[in-house]
Amino acid sequence: MVTEAKLSELQLEPEAPDLDLSWLNLDTEWGVQAEPGRKGLTLQQINDSVYGEIPAMAADHTARPRGAAAPAQSPRMGYVIGEATETFSDSAALLYDEAVSRQWSSATDIPWDTLDELPEDIERAMAQLCTSLTEVEFIAGDVPGKWLPRIAADHYESGLFLMSQVMDEARHTDVFRKRALANGGGLLLQGGGGGLRQILEAEDFTQMSSMLHILGEGFVQSLFRLGELIAHNEAEKRIFRLAAQDESRHVAFGVTHLKYTLENDPDKAEEVHWTLDMFENTLVDPDQANPGLAGALVYLLGDGDVDEGWRLFWHVRRKQVLEYLHRLDVAGLGGRHETGRLHPALAGAIEDN
Amino acid sequence: MSDAVETKDVIAAAGERLEASGLPSDWLTVPVHWGVKAKEQADPAAGGLRFSLLNVDVYGEVPERWDNNTEIPRGAIPDTRTEQMGYSIFDKSEVWSDLCADLYEDAIQQRWNSSTEIPWDELKPLDGDVERAICQIATLLSEYGWAKAQTTGRWLQEISYGFIEVKLFLGAVVFDSARLYEVWRKRALANGGGLGRGGRNWKLLPIVQSYTFSEFAVASLMHDSMLLALLREGEGLSQNAAEREIFSRCAQDIERHLRYWVDHIRYLMLKEPLRREEIHRYLNKAEWYLAQDQDDTLYSALAVVMAEGREQAEEAMVDVAALRKAQVELYLNHLDQCHLSDRRNRLSDPLRRWAAIPIPTPEEKIPV
Repeated sequence: MVTEAKLSELQLEPEAPDLDLSWLNLDTEWGVQAEPGRKGLTLQQINDSVYGEIPAMAADHTARPRGAAAPAQSPRMGYVIGEATETFSDSAALLYDEAVSRQWSSATDIPWDTLDELPEDIERAMAQLCTSLTEVEFIAGDVPGKWLPRIAADHYESGLFLMSQVMDEARHTDVFRKRALANGGGLLLQGGGGGLRQILEAEDFTQMSSMLHILGEGFVQSLFRLGELIAHNEAEKRIFRLAAQDESRHVAFGVTHLKYTLENDPDKAEEVHWTLDMFENTLVDPDQANPGLAGALVYLLGDGDVDEGWRLFWHVRRKQVLEYLHRLDVAGLGGRHETGRLHPALAGAIEDN
Repeated sequence: MSDAVETKDVIAAAGERLEASGLPSDWLTVPVHWGVKAKEQADPAAGGLRFSLLNVDVYGEVPERWDNNTEIPRGAIPDTRTEQMGYSIFDKSEVWSDLCADLYEDAIQQRWNSSTEIPWDELKPLDGDVERAICQIATLLSEYGWAKAQTTGRWLQEISYGFIEVKLFLGAVVFDSARLYEVWRKRALANGGGLGRGGRNWKLLPIVQSYTFSEFAVASLMHDSMLLALLREGEGLSQNAAEREIFSRCAQDIERHLRYWVDHIRYLMLKEPLRREEIHRYLNKAEWYLAQDQDDTLYSALAVVMAEGREQAEEAMVDVAALRKAQVELYLNHLDQCHLSDRRNRLSDPLRRWAAIPIPTPEEKIPV
């Protein structure tokens, strides 16, 4: 039997929202028709309008997309960094587009079946290197995540780039763990230190980016580009090649961000120099050294011949330092070597080799 | 000479060579769990070397409590000199889902590119009101993508390597959310329109303000459920193949996120049943903010699309109300799957009205 209460329940209708058509009469820019280009409808294409204008100062602390009309009232979503000089890069949109088009899968794009049995000393060295790298890449993903809430929606290009970096670093963390566990090796000795904490500690975006993108990932990219010297099979070569491609984007963001910052706020140069002083010192400080990384790297470079490994290590280190200095030049922070500011241990790598 | 002796000699000799050249060799002799060959499990037809295949031996042991505050990889040998890193989440129950490793790989397999995989040339000029309405909807969905990426990203630095699978998956959520942001921005700027009005967004504060990951998770479950119900209406709302593709691709991503939210909260409820009331408080807050937001812009824009113009929009509010009802029902269905079906009796009054659920009398209400 249908009770009166049940009947009224069945007769209930969902409450309708109020119709509000005020948004039909906004004074936002209208008539925008971005056209797909050779690479499709990229951010570059949609930024080719008034919606592409980057405010030097973002006053809005909400999630409102740049160019959208402000609602009558909207809460701040936390404090964001308003000055474009602090977080922006002219290349961020391009680098994001590239990141999206160059995503890869560690599960299917690495020819894992080419991993042959290796001598145990070599397998151990590769497992140690990968243990250290999965750890390094883990932190490299934490850092952009930490900064995301502070990026202004008006400077969304930098935000999107950092979001793509989070994904890239997840994949790097994953692929080096996979390599360590794929071929009979395992995870060896933790490789902490080496400045990872300094990057996380930074409370200024440009300081962080100088350490992470330019120096840290710059050194890693130079190493990965020489992955042929380390790899013993096609799987490892592919890992280093694909990871280097990703790192190139991260480095490019750091360089173009620093360039943008220094062009608009030249006074920041000394602060960045100081940050690099500190971080270079950490990188070469024996007390901060990653105990397994250097040994495994030397061992792999020499394929077990330690003397040859050292020779190639200095070749790698020289390339790392030269490329680092070149990146600083491009960013407008040249002369670090010439003025004697480069850490002596790094300067020695290019003077003695 | 046996193989074992020969290997021992090789390792000892390698150590001697390293030490002689001034390099540490202790990494060569740490007690490693040797012999894990995940490559042997990799089947190209089954997705290749998926992350879940690594979880063998000690490497697959995910402890209930991870007590290392460095970034040490799970299964590696600790170096006690390493500095603390500031992680704050050490309880598996706070973040875990058994699905994470596979959802992460699924996210990569299902990745898409909004620049090239949306048939943008299918966009055709629309009636002025409809174009404005689509652009308004696009503005709000884009805005949500931004907030979702930002708020998810900030949790990464809190989660230690012990729960690496969770972090990998959340990395994919951040990237998916970036795409949610940019694909809808592109839609707004691709067909002769522009951006509309930003949302009032008081409703998003619970995901911004969360103190615990589980608080963030339940608030995200609510918002993502609302979004998914809307995206599933995409077939009816779309004016062309490009929009249909956008709705469909975004729905696939959000469904993946919801599989995690649901499975994680279910895990939390099983492991920590005493936190049930606490979780209900977070839901109380999320629902209250959602209702108090009182921003009907999205629903009004949906009505204009459904009515193909402003003239019949008022009549279309019936259909919009049905959509909002479906949103609440999907939210409740997801909570049912989390062993939180008691939420049906505790749903806030405004959401009950949206979903045509009778409001209990004061005597019937469960005291909170």
